[in-house]
Amino acid sequence: METADRKKVLIVDDEEDMIWSLQKNLPNDNLQVAILTASSGNEALAILQKTEVDLIITDIKMPGISGIDLLIAARKACPGIAVIVMTAYPSAESKNEVMENGGLCFIEKPFDINQMRCTIRQALHQGSSFEGKVSGLQLTDIIQVNRLSQASTALRIRADGAEGTLYFSEGSIVHATCGDLEGEEAFYRIINFKGGQIEAFFPPTLPETTIDTPVDVLLLKGTMMADEQEQADRHQADGGTADGTGGGPPGVAGGPAAMDFFAKEYGMDELKQLLTEFTGISGVNTACLVGRDGFLLESIALSGVDTEMIGAIASSGFGASEAMGNQLQKGGMSMTMVEYENGPVMLSPVGSEAFLVIIADKDANLGMIRLKIKKHVREIEEKAGV
Amino acid sequence: MKKDTKKDNILDIAHVSFLDMIKVMITMGGAANAKGTLIRNALGAAARMREVDYESFEEYLEAMENTTNPVAMVEGKSRHMGDHVFGLAKCPFGPSINNYTAVFKKLPDGYDDFTSEFNKPSRVTDMYRIGEGAGVSPFCAVHQPMRSAVADKITIGGKKIRIYQLGCKSGSGHKGFADKWIKESGVDREVVDKVLDSHMCCYFLSIEG
Repeated sequence: METADRKKVLIVDDEEDMIWSLQKNLPNDNLQVAILTASSGNEALAILQKTEVDLIITDIKMPGISGIDLLIAARKACPGIAVIVMTAYPSAESKNEVMENGGLCFIEKPFDINQMRCTIRQALHQGSSFEGKVSGLQLTDIIQVNRLSQASTALRIRADGAEGTLYFSEGSIVHATCGDLEGEEAFYRIINFKGGQIEAFFPPTLPETTIDTPVDVLLLKGTMMADEQEQADRHQADGGTADGTGGGPPGVAGGPAAMDFFAKEYGMDELKQLLTEFTGISGVNTACLVGRDGFLLESIALSGVDTEMIGAIASSGFGASEAMGNQLQKGGMSMTMVEYENGPVMLSPVGSEAFLVIIADKDANLGMIRLKIKKHVREIEEKAGV
Repeated sequence: MKKDTKKDNILDIAHVSFLDMIKVMITMGGAANAKGTLIRNALGAAARMREVDYESFEEYLEAMENTTNPVAMVEGKSRHMGDHVFGLAKCPFGPSINNYTAVFKKLPDGYDDFTSEFNKPSRVTDMYRIGEGAGVSPFCAVHQPMRSAVADKITIGGKKIRIYQLGCKSGSGHKGFADKWIKESGVDREVVDKVLDSHMCCYFLSIEG
């Protein structure tokens, strides 16, 4: 796409890091937009007077006029303009104020960059897609189509009086709801529906990410659970019990018991399962737990990555970073990252005897990786006994 | 025997470089990383040794005696003390240590940290049944895994053998015992202690089922 043809997105934030990060990470092959930036609401209004902008992404709290004031002024000057408001200090009042004044959605910082792209694409392409009915397709077919086309959309599925919704961001399923269930549990319930109606739509608000397992893995697990459920149903019909002792796997609806079943079925221990928390993040292809001596303790790796060798080499890097900190009396090391042309490698200590190596592509969401490390490091330490 | 002080006072630069390199590795990358590097180096060397099968334990001992046995080739002859317990009279790193300390009086700084690191439980020490208290110097992190990895290439009557490092003695006479491997091998700790009275290294050879 020619640069001049690209839709224009104006990012408004007084935090230079945020502007830099969005400017660098938002545009990709599926979102070719021109980025304009402003460090205050007044600067943004000045740009709007001279340039036709398709979408504004603004922080709320800024020196001078606030993001909400900017939203009101921008919508008054350009009624069709879409405005996404983001804040690190969310409240019900500010959210209501944003929505009442025509804001497209309200996003909390920090956010998943993929989800932000999804929202932007929805905002920029609303009204330009087909609508209608298609019959004879399986739900798994539609999920695969969304995955292949890297769609950012949502599917509402109704069957036998139940209703569930799957949310996609760039082809990945990031959220699911079904009755009281949400996340993977909801996905597995929905995938077990036998026939019904499917409706595709653009969700009005950005859903919270509750699923980071790759679509292929979700479908594999879902299919396996459906097969096992059928076996269990058949067994029950033949006089067996329904509590899982009669042949079917426990918790086929996808709860923790089902996850354990999956782990056992595929020889995946708890430690490996924890590492899938990282490889489930889009763009992360390898996660290793390495002893500080460089010997590998556990790994999930992209085919072709020699994790034993990576562990040995990474221990030199990790040891050297730590030695430098000791020399400079900087205290314990919490995390280090080496950024290469094709993506970063992150190293993070786990207990006193090991460290994590996360290898990612350049588009990977570093904030999400950091959050996952913080969330799971203690559990990994316990499971590994390091 | 009278000590040849003149000879000892000539520094062997290969020895100095190696011993000081260990210190540099500890300083630059930490004791754990240095330990891993030395162990990987030892395993790499062992991987280049040939595979061999002995018809019987007696034939294994005979090969040990005439130093055609791969274990003897990397560390010298060890003596069978009975019940598959072996004693090695001389530490393969003894000459390097003596040469270094004759000139510099003491071994480089950081060696104690390294030795403690080697004795910590870890995946690699479990895999080769080494360390766990049997380390008395950084050189044990080279010697012990190398012997165990070389033994992985030996069979007796077609059966795999495994080495359990039971204990080791430093040049100053300090004895280190690997209680974990002593217990697992079923060898009496007193036997190990006695073997170490007259040897620098003590290990057990098990012929697997």
